[in-house]
Amino acid sequence: MSGGFHIVVCGSLVPDPLQTLEPVLGTDVPALKNEAMLPSVLDPWAGHALFEAAQLAASGPDSKLWLCSLGPKARLQQLMMQVAQKVPFELVALDGSASGFTDSALVADALASAIESIDGLDRSRMLLFGGCASASRDAGVTLQMVGERLGIRDQFLGVDELHVQEDGSLRVLERVEGGRYLASVCEGPPLVAAWATGKLPEPPNSPQIGMQNMRTIMPALARAKPVSLESGGTTWLSAEVPQQRRETRIVKDSSADEIAREIVDWLRS
Amino acid sequence: MDTILYLAHTDASGSLPKAALEALTAALDLTRELDGASLVLGLIGENVEGAAGAVGGVERVVGVSGPEFAVSRYASDAAATEALVNATEATIVIAPATPRLCRTLPGVAGRLGGRVETQVTEVTAEGDTVRAQRWFYRQRMVATLSRSQRPWFLLVAPGAYDAWKGEAGGAQLERVNVDLPADQLRTRVEGFQAAASQTQTIRPDAQTLLVAGAGWTKKQADGQVHIKDAECLVLGFLELAHASLGSSKSLVDQSSEGGEVMSFMSHLNQVGQTGSTPRHKKGLSTCCHGEEPHVVGWRFIRERRAINLDPACGWAQGKADVLYVADAFQVMAKVNELLSGQ
Amino acid sequence: MSESDPKRDSLEVDIACVGFGPASGGFLTTLSRGLAASNGELESAAMPGLPPQVVCYERADDLGFGVSGVVTRATGIRATFPDLDPEQIPLARPVTKEKLVYLQDPIGASRRSFVLRSADRMLRGLRFVLPVKHHAMELPFVPSFLRKDGGLVFGIGQFNQWVASQLMAAGQVQLWPGTPVAEPLVEGNAVVGVRLLDQGTDSAGEPAAGFLPGMDIKAALTVVADGPVGAVGRRLDERFGMPEGNERRDWAVGMKMVVDLPDGCALEPGTVLHTFGYPEPEIFGFLYVNEPGVASLGIFVPSSLPSPVRASYRYLQHWLQHPYLWRHLAGGKLRSWGAKSLQESGRDGEPFLCGDGFARIGEGSGSTNVLTGSGVDEAWTTGVQLAESVLELLDGKLPFTRENLTKTYVARRRASSLDRESKIAAKARAGFDRGFVRGLLGMALTGLTRGRLNARRGRRPTRAPSLAEHYRGRIPAAEIERIEQEARAGRRPLHDALMDRAGWPSIPFDGELLVSHQDALLMGGKVQAAPGYADHVVFLAPAICAVCGTKQCIHVCSGQALTAGEDGVPNFDREKCVHCGACQWSCPEPRVPGRETGAIALRAGAGGLHSVEN
Repeated sequence: MSGGFHIVVCGSLVPDPLQTLEPVLGTDVPALKNEAMLPSVLDPWAGHALFEAAQLAASGPDSKLWLCSLGPKARLQQLMMQVAQKVPFELVALDGSASGFTDSALVADALASAIESIDGLDRSRMLLFGGCASASRDAGVTLQMVGERLGIRDQFLGVDELHVQEDGSLRVLERVEGGRYLASVCEGPPLVAAWATGKLPEPPNSPQIGMQNMRTIMPALARAKPVSLESGGTTWLSAEVPQQRRETRIVKDSSADEIAREIVDWLRS
Repeated sequence: MDTILYLAHTDASGSLPKAALEALTAALDLTRELDGASLVLGLIGENVEGAAGAVGGVERVVGVSGPEFAVSRYASDAAATEALVNATEATIVIAPATPRLCRTLPGVAGRLGGRVETQVTEVTAEGDTVRAQRWFYRQRMVATLSRSQRPWFLLVAPGAYDAWKGEAGGAQLERVNVDLPADQLRTRVEGFQAAASQTQTIRPDAQTLLVAGAGWTKKQADGQVHIKDAECLVLGFLELAHASLGSSKSLVDQSSEGGEVMSFMSHLNQVGQTGSTPRHKKGLSTCCHGEEPHVVGWRFIRERRAINLDPACGWAQGKADVLYVADAFQVMAKVNELLSGQ
Repeated sequence: MSESDPKRDSLEVDIACVGFGPASGGFLTTLSRGLAASNGELESAAMPGLPPQVVCYERADDLGFGVSGVVTRATGIRATFPDLDPEQIPLARPVTKEKLVYLQDPIGASRRSFVLRSADRMLRGLRFVLPVKHHAMELPFVPSFLRKDGGLVFGIGQFNQWVASQLMAAGQVQLWPGTPVAEPLVEGNAVVGVRLLDQGTDSAGEPAAGFLPGMDIKAALTVVADGPVGAVGRRLDERFGMPEGNERRDWAVGMKMVVDLPDGCALEPGTVLHTFGYPEPEIFGFLYVNEPGVASLGIFVPSSLPSPVRASYRYLQHWLQHPYLWRHLAGGKLRSWGAKSLQESGRDGEPFLCGDGFARIGEGSGSTNVLTGSGVDEAWTTGVQLAESVLELLDGKLPFTRENLTKTYVARRRASSLDRESKIAAKARAGFDRGFVRGLLGMALTGLTRGRLNARRGRRPTRAPSLAEHYRGRIPAAEIERIEQEARAGRRPLHDALMDRAGWPSIPFDGELLVSHQDALLMGGKVQAAPGYADHVVFLAPAICAVCGTKQCIHVCSGQALTAGEDGVPNFDREKCVHCGACQWSCPEPRVPGRETGAIALRAGAGGLHSVEN
């Protein structure tokens, strides 16, 4: 294998987790209340995947990095203002819904088609990255489907580390039960890595990177192909925030000792 | 007329792990409720006879076995899954949401033109319609849906069902052959590795979840920050109560060292992210204001108590069963003392 | 900033804007259109071959997190967007109905002058003849200077987002949220750009892991649009001084909520209510119905309120519960919350509008009209005026010198109706120095005579009243001391305890609309700050804090981010700060020329409010 990796990161926007999120079930598919108003952030685990990808790309001279993002165009624009100052990348934008209630198979289809049409992408050197689940659909299924569509049979979920070994093989650590990792070695690209948090902190904002990125991001946004995610075949029966209002007993004038005793009794019960 | 394939992998000892037995309950329940459904048991692993024989009341058992299937690896697991689905012509697949199957089944669903739901908390039937319930937006909302596309893969979340207990069975194991050309086995599994930190902050079988809020790292009444004390108290409690740890906001500051955050918090991210969301019976929130913590797993806490100095905080407004208006440093010190005394 | 400067990267652009609000919105929209229309004829001086590089740096984590009322005649905004359909923008609606309401005090705890109490008695006596109901009187007319006929109500967060969206789509300018600007770069008498805030520091500003020194952005023109308490604007004031006789002495905290109105609420979209008289006479209130079932509402707590414990949130909660309002609000739900400072000196607080390499627009440039109580459209208009001037200068290949900017931008501004109106409004608030009633009469006088007759200013008090002075006749001094001691020992804020003792009833929290202050911050404001930045509220003179009795900064803090600390210097929790700046202007310590403000300074910082529904 010559040269570096061609890394494609799939990641989109999710509503800022600080906001109040409530579903409304209209006629068809659930949506979020006041969705038009919710500020968005980059999907956290996809973000980690992006930062890891950037580090990997920086270490290989011939590497390239694309971010493939499906979301409402206006929202993607906003998202880019936040993400573009972090790491250098090229954007492949698709204009469609980023709701967690969309059909993952259709999303995967759209992403795979877009990736297939990336100019200059060498599939034999490809690493397909993303988050191990989104903060919206929160299922951890889309990336595997994209990988399948692209014919990649080496897939890893819940990745915290991907290390390029001397011989070019890739050692991957995946989170598994009991707080442990499963270590595997893949001969080389192509592979799919759905990242958990990885090991890198969020990069600080760099205006230089931002300005550089914007030169390609603006045209990419303008070119964003509309994608329809209408799926027949799914019936939504309910969508709600479970109402939990308990009768709170407020213990105010007890000493720390008394409270501690009560807590320990409760823990032991 | 649905064929339900219950799919599971055996563990190193050849038996079905707890999560798998829970999913089996879901599968058996569904088979009973769904009009005209039949159930097939499907097993993947190095050896599957033991597991196959352990489950009674099922007419047909199929399995893929061999050394290549001893390990958790996408290529081989996907091939095995595909083979089992094809061999049984399954329309519904019910499996435990283990990391191995969470990795595999979505890709196979894509391969076969079906659909997949993960972390399913309930599977029910209405007539001949199958319904699945799962959570969205980091467990902040729950929805129930049904799909017409087939095969439909349902990965059942651990802790959502009781583990199956029953008589051994006598159905004949049908072996399904899977061809794995060498060029497909590009991944070699080395084995398990412990997480780097010594601190055990994840306890999958814990009864209690401790939520440590931002208040632990703030200046206290004496105007000082008491990070070391906070660390001691939190870690001490986890040890003594065998509790898991959650946080109401990110206390992880991965970009700076120094005493400003609790040093073990970097592994916080791991709580609930192992593919199996812990469902604790009890949750104790400390130094957290009461804006419902966005902690994976908190949603399923049954009994909730909180310690906070503010009697008008969110916990008092129906979010907790009991709110103790007190200084968590003092109370937790005492709690740890009492727990260690026994 | 540390003395030993780390090596800083630098970047060159043509125009750097500081702050994204309505002023920058107006500036960038107009500039953007001009650049697009010029068809590539205008070239970047910083990056030859490319079009002019225009960047805007905003401190907040997103562009939609600003706070404001808003009700506006929207003259400037409509001129820029003639086809504006308010329904395109969430929370925006045309004004349909306006009322001005005098709220009486049903509790009896407010501090009313003899004149006002007499007026109240009279009103109560005449309540079967006059429209006095629910302890309030709806004035039969809204004075013309207040009326917003044909205007709009909207949420500034949504409006800013919408404007940003148009700008991004047009592609002529770059917007960068989450990028606080620490200070202007000054060489000699010229501003040559800005310096961004260091990232990856500890709370004292010293490099920590992940340290990235803030970049220097060199620009031929720096547009300062960072609001009334912006750090860059303030630095310019310190460096260049204020025009002769101008001073910013009048301020207010605006604290507001967006509320889901209860089912069956009779208030219709486009309804505008202005209130005054309660919970203290000086406190003005507003309620605008943005959409069916959604209202923006809040109060202004002015610096002329002679209380050392000017705690806005508690006042807001009492205001909500006034019978006249509560009949509409009971059963409602808090959606968002926020607070900001308003600069109420108007024209008298105008700084130097431009200099070599810089120009100032928006509220920080004194554009707010303090008679009509409007600022958004005025800010927008100053932005438009500057953009037209910039395009003129770019076209003529003329440098951005003080002379050129004065001849174009300042000239445009002075010739506009904006300036005419602001001259009229200049003395509108003068009477408030001498008391509320005089203040109201003064406003009316100014308004009705279009500025020809005004109230006279009073003498500015040299220091804030002490607690004992303020509560004389209501709470004995000895008891005040006791309450202070209890507050120090316990965790209860002092002002809450004092207000309780002064007769204000405790708030019946319901967890929905009446919530604790911290709940409002978290549920409503979603206030948060990412780590890695220095504390942005700093105490410059600990010796002064040590002997400060009243600690007004602590009481006025909109987020309860300031608490009593060691040796008299307050503790600052940056994760609660909403960057309102009230601490800065509340400090009675007078400014020393050439030095940062008083004893406390609000510097540039990241984080704060995270709600776009303000």
